[in-house]
Amino acid sequence: MAAQPSPNRDVPGTSNAASGAAPLLQLTDLQMYFPVTSGVLISRHVGDVRAVDGVSLSIQKGETVGLVGESGCGKSTVGRTILRLYRPTGGRIVFQGQDITTAEGSTLRSVRRRMQMIFQDPYASLNPRMTAAGIVSEPLEIHGVGTGRERRQRVRELLATVGLDPDYGDRFPHEFSGGQRQRIGVARALALHPDLIVADEPISALDVSIQAQIINLLERLQGEFGLTYLFIAHDLSVVRHISDRIAVMYLGRLVETATSRELYERPLHPYSVALLSAVPIPDPTIEGRRRRIILTGDVPSPSNPPPGCHFHTRCWLRARLGNPERCVEEQPALREMASGHAVACHFAEEVEGSPEQVLQISGESSGGSVTATAATAATPPAPPAPTQGSLPAGPSAPQRPVPRPRERS
Amino acid sequence: MHLLSIIDLVVRFRTHDGTVYAVNGVSLDLDEGEKLGLVGESGCGKSVTNLAVMQLLPKPAGKIEGGQVVFQGQDLLSLDESEMRELRGKEIAMIFQDPMTSLNPVLTIEEQMVETIRAHRRVSKSEARARTLELLNTVGIPQPEARLRNFPHQFSGGMRQRVMIAMALALEPKLLIADEPTTALDVTIQAQVLDLLQRLAAEQGTALILITHDLGVVAGMTKRVNVMYAGFVVESASTPDLFARPRHPYTVGLLHSMPRLDAQPGEPLIPIEGVPPDLRRAPVGCPFAPRCAWRVEKCWTAMPPLDPIDATQEIVTTGPNATHRIACWNPVTPEEAVAARPLRAGFAPAAHPTETVS
Repeated sequence: MAAQPSPNRDVPGTSNAASGAAPLLQLTDLQMYFPVTSGVLISRHVGDVRAVDGVSLSIQKGETVGLVGESGCGKSTVGRTILRLYRPTGGRIVFQGQDITTAEGSTLRSVRRRMQMIFQDPYASLNPRMTAAGIVSEPLEIHGVGTGRERRQRVRELLATVGLDPDYGDRFPHEFSGGQRQRIGVARALALHPDLIVADEPISALDVSIQAQIINLLERLQGEFGLTYLFIAHDLSVVRHISDRIAVMYLGRLVETATSRELYERPLHPYSVALLSAVPIPDPTIEGRRRRIILTGDVPSPSNPPPGCHFHTRCWLRARLGNPERCVEEQPALREMASGHAVACHFAEEVEGSPEQVLQISGESSGGSVTATAATAATPPAPPAPTQGSLPAGPSAPQRPVPRPRERS
Repeated sequence: MHLLSIIDLVVRFRTHDGTVYAVNGVSLDLDEGEKLGLVGESGCGKSVTNLAVMQLLPKPAGKIEGGQVVFQGQDLLSLDESEMRELRGKEIAMIFQDPMTSLNPVLTIEEQMVETIRAHRRVSKSEARARTLELLNTVGIPQPEARLRNFPHQFSGGMRQRVMIAMALALEPKLLIADEPTTALDVTIQAQVLDLLQRLAAEQGTALILITHDLGVVAGMTKRVNVMYAGFVVESASTPDLFARPRHPYTVGLLHSMPRLDAQPGEPLIPIEGVPPDLRRAPVGCPFAPRCAWRVEKCWTAMPPLDPIDATQEIVTTGPNATHRIACWNPVTPEEAVAARPLRAGFAPAAHPTETVS
């Protein structure tokens, strides 16, 4: 089918303007349609699920880009298309200056060495019949790296790097807990010294107390190995924590890209605003006075998306503006509203300064959570030195600064 | 008299792998119209406690081995199955995480809801149908007349949860137990469902037990919280009190290990090290001790009782002025709760009495 020219082509603000270097990864108008067929013997092409419908995004070396959106918005498909697990319907993928959109065979294999994936479900993504060492060693074997002895040594190093006992290498996945399994998944992803890691919901299947362990591990590894992450998740607080920049997706398209600080302090797309307002904050005082934007209805089907702006059927702003026809007739292009901050909304100016946008920034005046008692208790930041050695014997419980220094209003 | 009192409940599962110590002496009270949050990670016993109240524990593995469940003055554990069935739905209703598995896939919504209503009320089919329509309308199902004839698979996840809520509230129960009602839903749909739950519970004066792992949901939805770990209630307080002054090391750890939307950018997370305990081992001492930075010697051998922080305090178990209680031999001070680590000079977590703890 003819890929329609999308207004998202060559968008300013989708790349990190601060650095002049060529990006590590550049997506231009990426499209990934999955055909819908009918008929038993003769299958007819009756339509497409437009999972990714014109996404342009660039990722600089060493940064973490968060890709957020609700289930079915196409964020995982973007990740999988980047790794060329699919052949894109349209658009271009340029990785380290090399166009890999249609790469095949040995070219593709050499590219895949440099990009790896961490999956959501550590129960399903590890082969139950292979030992941990076998799983971590497999990419090395496939790419013929080192001798058997060198590989065994490397596997031990990798297991230690992700915080597992190297002697556990001969255990099977079912002998590990969920968090430990995810560490094996991370070790496997690191085995070939990749430049880019696509992490697809890497912590969603884990218990709350374990999630932070994996987030901190990913952050530490990024520092140690200069990794670049595309972090795909639905949880905005997690994405905000780990990402330098965030891209918000809705029904196959990017609706907003910004630095994570900008997106949180100054969201400009009505969908981003609604998404932020829906995230519960563990503080009863804030929760008590927050006004949520309750979006009506569900995400429409990507096989039959609404015309114009995909979000117009649920948009709170459009209703307020008297339902302008433009939202139905014209697909909004991603346009740069501030440096590095692009938004695909015809009426983003109306979001700016609206009470909904401002309300999201209620955290600064919190008075009702433990994190705010820093001010109440009037304790100076604790000197880190005297408690040396008084911490739990866990492998990564280093001294940390007093968290959340926040003023009480 | 409280609406519901759980007294020293003990639930165990006999499995091929041995006994699972799921609930190890949980006590809690709930008043009419009160909203209580039960927080904890998978396996902490929060769901099992409530399945025991409903007597829906998987049989024959799950057994209530001790304690009492008193609902409106009646000991539920002494009721037989038919009496219990009479009570379920009518007095106590429950909604689950995955509505697809709790709705019957081969019956239309109309058939299921009419059946539910007529099982407990002497009304005609058309009256039950009218009530069903009204309920679907209340929970915000568009075109309820047409949707009545749909099957569960024809609804989206959020809509299915709305149908579940409509069914749960059909008989105006005194108590609604919601077990991770929004965990399977997207965040914008979660907001819709929580909003609905809050509104309906308030309108009908239904008491609510909200089971969740999400402290954010608890903060917005409940007035009182019990934090559970490995089958014990380890901290109990009014919601504002718990978030402002957490005193149990586990609660403090949970609060610091979640990224928050209102945190300062770049603030590090402080994880709880280690993993939750294996419930197949009989609990000895405090189950959190191996992961706890505040542990003292006693923690390895004796489980602390759930006591008020101030020992002289009279215990109030329900309402907004519920006494803040913790099960801890070495409570976290307010300053330490902020720092998420012990600040006492020279303090080191006690080593295990017999083995070296790694």
